[in-house]
Amino acid sequence: MSAAAIIPHDMEPHPVTGMYNGKFGIWLFLASEIMLFGALFSTYVLLRMGAEDGMWPKHGAEILNVPLATFNTVVLITSSVTMVLSWAALKMGDVAKGQRFLGITFLLAGTFLVVKYFEYKEKFHHFEVFLNEPMAVEGYQEPLKGIRGHFTADSPKLEADAKTGAYAIPEYVIIEPDAPHGTHEHPKPVRIESAQVKRISNFGPRHSNFLATYFTLTGLHGLHIVGGMVVILYFLLTGSTFAKKNHEKYVNRIECTGLYWHFVDLVWIFLFPVLYLL
Amino acid sequence: MLAQTTYGRWLPPQLSEHGGKIDQLIDVLHVFMAVLFIAWGIFFVYCLFRFRAKQGHAARYEPVKGLISKYAEIGVGVFEAFLLLGLSMPVWADYKNKPPAESERLPVRVVAEQFQWNFHYAGKDGKFGSTDNSQITASNPIGLRSDDPAGADDIVSVNEFHLPTGTPIYLRLTSKDVIHSFAIPTMRVKQDVIPGMEIPIWFTAKEGSESEKLREQMVQHFPIEGANWYKLRHMIASEDHKSSGGEVLLAKGADLGDSFVKGKELIESLQKAGVAELVMQPRHPLEVICAQLCGNSHFKMKATMVTHDAAGFNAWIEEKSKGVEFEDF
Amino acid sequence: MSSHEAHAGHHHDHGDHHHEELPFWRKYIFSVDHKVIGVQYAVTALVFLFFGFTLMMIMRWQLAYPGQPIPLIGKYLSSAIAMDGILVGDGYNALGAMHGTIMVFLAIVPLAVGGFGNYVLPLQVGAPDMAFPKLNMMSYWVFFCGGVVMIASFFVPGGAAASGWTSYAPLSVIATTGQTMWLLGMVLLITSSLLGSVNFIVTAVQLRAKGLGFFRLPFFVWAQLVTSFLLLLAFPPLEAAGVLQLMDRLAGTSFFMPSGLVVSGVQQTQYAGGGSPLLWQHLFWFLAHPEVYVLILPALGIVAEVIANNTRKPLWGYKSLVYSAIFLGFMSFIVWAHHMFMTGMGTTLSTFFQATTMIISVPSVIILTCLIISLWGASIRYTVPMLFAVAFLPMFAIGGLTGLPLGLTASDIALHDTYYVIGHFHYVVAPGTIFAMFAGIYYWFPKVTGRKMNDLLGKLHFWGSFVFINAVFMPMFFQGMAGLLRRQYDQTEQLHGSLAHGLTTMSSWGAWLLALAQIPFIINFFWSIRGGTKVDANPWQATTLEWAAPSPPPHGNFDKVPVVYCGPYEYSVPGKKTDYCPQHVAMEA
Repeated sequence: MSAAAIIPHDMEPHPVTGMYNGKFGIWLFLASEIMLFGALFSTYVLLRMGAEDGMWPKHGAEILNVPLATFNTVVLITSSVTMVLSWAALKMGDVAKGQRFLGITFLLAGTFLVVKYFEYKEKFHHFEVFLNEPMAVEGYQEPLKGIRGHFTADSPKLEADAKTGAYAIPEYVIIEPDAPHGTHEHPKPVRIESAQVKRISNFGPRHSNFLATYFTLTGLHGLHIVGGMVVILYFLLTGSTFAKKNHEKYVNRIECTGLYWHFVDLVWIFLFPVLYLL
Repeated sequence: MLAQTTYGRWLPPQLSEHGGKIDQLIDVLHVFMAVLFIAWGIFFVYCLFRFRAKQGHAARYEPVKGLISKYAEIGVGVFEAFLLLGLSMPVWADYKNKPPAESERLPVRVVAEQFQWNFHYAGKDGKFGSTDNSQITASNPIGLRSDDPAGADDIVSVNEFHLPTGTPIYLRLTSKDVIHSFAIPTMRVKQDVIPGMEIPIWFTAKEGSESEKLREQMVQHFPIEGANWYKLRHMIASEDHKSSGGEVLLAKGADLGDSFVKGKELIESLQKAGVAELVMQPRHPLEVICAQLCGNSHFKMKATMVTHDAAGFNAWIEEKSKGVEFEDF
Repeated sequence: MSSHEAHAGHHHDHGDHHHEELPFWRKYIFSVDHKVIGVQYAVTALVFLFFGFTLMMIMRWQLAYPGQPIPLIGKYLSSAIAMDGILVGDGYNALGAMHGTIMVFLAIVPLAVGGFGNYVLPLQVGAPDMAFPKLNMMSYWVFFCGGVVMIASFFVPGGAAASGWTSYAPLSVIATTGQTMWLLGMVLLITSSLLGSVNFIVTAVQLRAKGLGFFRLPFFVWAQLVTSFLLLLAFPPLEAAGVLQLMDRLAGTSFFMPSGLVVSGVQQTQYAGGGSPLLWQHLFWFLAHPEVYVLILPALGIVAEVIANNTRKPLWGYKSLVYSAIFLGFMSFIVWAHHMFMTGMGTTLSTFFQATTMIISVPSVIILTCLIISLWGASIRYTVPMLFAVAFLPMFAIGGLTGLPLGLTASDIALHDTYYVIGHFHYVVAPGTIFAMFAGIYYWFPKVTGRKMNDLLGKLHFWGSFVFINAVFMPMFFQGMAGLLRRQYDQTEQLHGSLAHGLTTMSSWGAWLLALAQIPFIINFFWSIRGGTKVDANPWQATTLEWAAPSPPPHGNFDKVPVVYCGPYEYSVPGKKTDYCPQHVAMEA
């Protein structure tokens, strides 16, 4: 067996890059992640520019919950801060403090996901009935091509087609339309016959390309948060032992995790205005 | 030059007015490619033999200098720029940017689907009836709206593309389901047909390329030995093929049967009867074919193309433009 | 000491294993040694290569003899593929789509990058292993899982994906279940590639031995480095596109589905519409064009090594080679839409892409020219690897030259989607890259096993392959000129196909004979592992660092960490006793 199975620059920076292997590796990985999210942002741009009038909401706020998302933004940015504090504490030698901050980061990430869960859930209970001909609805200035709202208790239950997954159109539906944007007055429930209906959808991904993009982008981002949480959890559980065995190496691992975490945060900082505010 | 003479050996016959420039580019390109390949090739083969390992001769450590490679490289670059700027871009610009004037052209809408081509003509009134995809039925493949009077005399021709020679044809292409591609090799026309988009292309069939005339020009002789039904399935006999006793075994205008088995039998009986060769011509010398994979019958998706002279085409319009009847109304 | 790991969730400190013998499953199955992983990649890839080739051989029967039952195996094919032993349209398309997918993603890239890159790169830079050995192992197993998913797709109802390896929407969105498995398989394969490329770049940059500056690196390493950047940056958009297509198929979104679709008479009202089929094409080709450079660069790297070694002189124009490879990599990101010229593209966009396509031919020409000029003044040894490397050059030339008419829009009108295209790209990958792969196998087999492969069998393999592979693909240029379209289950259905069909039979027989020509190789490969002539560390008298390690190298590779004193191709240096000066040996004045 060879005596020299030691990987060079595992810990000490390389003269050309100025980084140890892991750090260089994570930066390269992040470059590929930029391409991944970049492709999805490009998709958003292309689809929005090519959308017919009326198919894309004028403002994300029409459909999405901006206050919740703003809260989430603050949560995520804070988690990035606590991530740095964890690394800084560890670098200074205080393992207990470092692990504490790591734990807070984990909890903040969990909060983000919980809020996201409620945001998503709301969408699946919210519906739009797309009409063949625009219909006038009280409280709205223009006749609507699609009525958004919630079905009343006496509206027939919806069934999804086994093959396509889309809702079959029942004989009639009774929907309580949303309050027009800016007001809080719900118009009275409206009954719509099946002949007037083109399509019924909840506010899930199949509703429109805007929501499809929203779910895909935030969903993929959410998966990245989950991935990060798995890594952080692992370090929470094994960190103290690891740090005792090889302190510098542990600090490096946390640094790399932190870089990844900041990237995930950065993606959200782009996502939030693009989807919710524009 | 290297031009397209025999069908199936190099480029097919060239029957459109813009096609000549495309062929010229292809020919120039291939000469250029051949020159490069032969130049490289000669040098290469020379080295393979001249510099074989030999006793007492070492390889040369110093890199060989003063070769013409740098100038050759620049030359290649310059020539490629010429190809791009001088030959390709102008042809493409014409192909894409210079539609024929509205008053001169014949507009046709083409709606592709799995697995047929639907051709929509405006009919005698010159106005296209409006269409709506939600009105599509089996007998109304393009969804012609029954409430639009302009559509009453429209012609919807399934898998038959009729056009006059010498007149610019302006096609608006769209698809109902998946991506297809509208291709006519002899007219040097090819365009992807994409659902959700309407893409215009145009071309003019040369005078003299009427289907009847082409059929006569494309007579070929096939030796009976090795005649294969698959290769000849689209051909019809140009003359009567008789046995030595005078019996007509394959009449003029007849084909070799509609299945491999029938064809094999017929060919064998002709061979036995002493027929030495088959003299045949294409039943449909011109076709529109689908050039983008669109499903399991992609290979069969074709339309017959019938080119008429001006009078013949007008007669066809007269005959077909009788008024639309849809069973489902 | 275990490696530093960047991103994975689980890692155990192995501790020192100088003196501990690993159990079988840790030594050969879940090994973290780059050499074992390299062999795993190579062998798996070769199995997929022959499987992908078999799919084509079945298709070629239908092409040459339409409507005839396939002999021997026809009755065993599933109903999604054949009826009464005769291939059906869907089956032909499925075999075609999977042939392309398997060859590109399961065979060539894993062999060229995963196999050769993994095995040779750390040795050539003088490293004991890759920068992240555990990540390396993960890359292999994720690739393996991706391969399993792809093969499993043959067995689902409806059969495997049948929308081409290009999976254009909307056809792919309305396709059967096999397409979903294709997408899932691709996600796994892309992930494997991404993890691998991080490893390669870090290794090539950070793990170089002392004295091994960038311009002393063997060209093989440069080729792998550029390739890894292409994989790293170009694959993610396809991964994104794959996710989008999965969403369209499974969640009913309309990313690629325009409004108003009617399929077989049925209104597709379940889709919101507003999507764009062209979006898929852009995202797909953004990867798939750099992907073809991923297919050729490692091959160029191998050919360069074999030529330098067997000409006994330095490569001509080393710096040009390196700069061209880097420029090629950069340019490959901005030519993609030349695959989309016929989609209704206007003059502005097409001008841009034609120009970049013309420009990218320049570094390719430079690289080929440098390799050819390297033969001048040489002392050529016609070893089996050299036969393949030398044959590569004109084959690659034909492939590259025939790209020109395709890269100019006007000529592309006549040639797009015809057999001309098939001829073009196969010349580059089949007698091109695959020949380079064979060269690499014959060349490095002694390093991996400590034994040489048999020369006679190798020469049989070479000549048979060379003759028959040309028989398969040369006719295709003429067929394409005649207008014969690609992806045609029955070429005789259309007039052009009927008239150009004679050459199809020649291609088919060429393919079957080509398969027979591989038999000497397969026998040679397996027999030589135990029965080949034993060799020492440097049987080819080569200069690069991998030949400084024993054959085969032990765990950790080098008995002594090498130090580099000179360039990679110091052959026939005037005044020296031997005609080669290894990089790790200081040359006496």
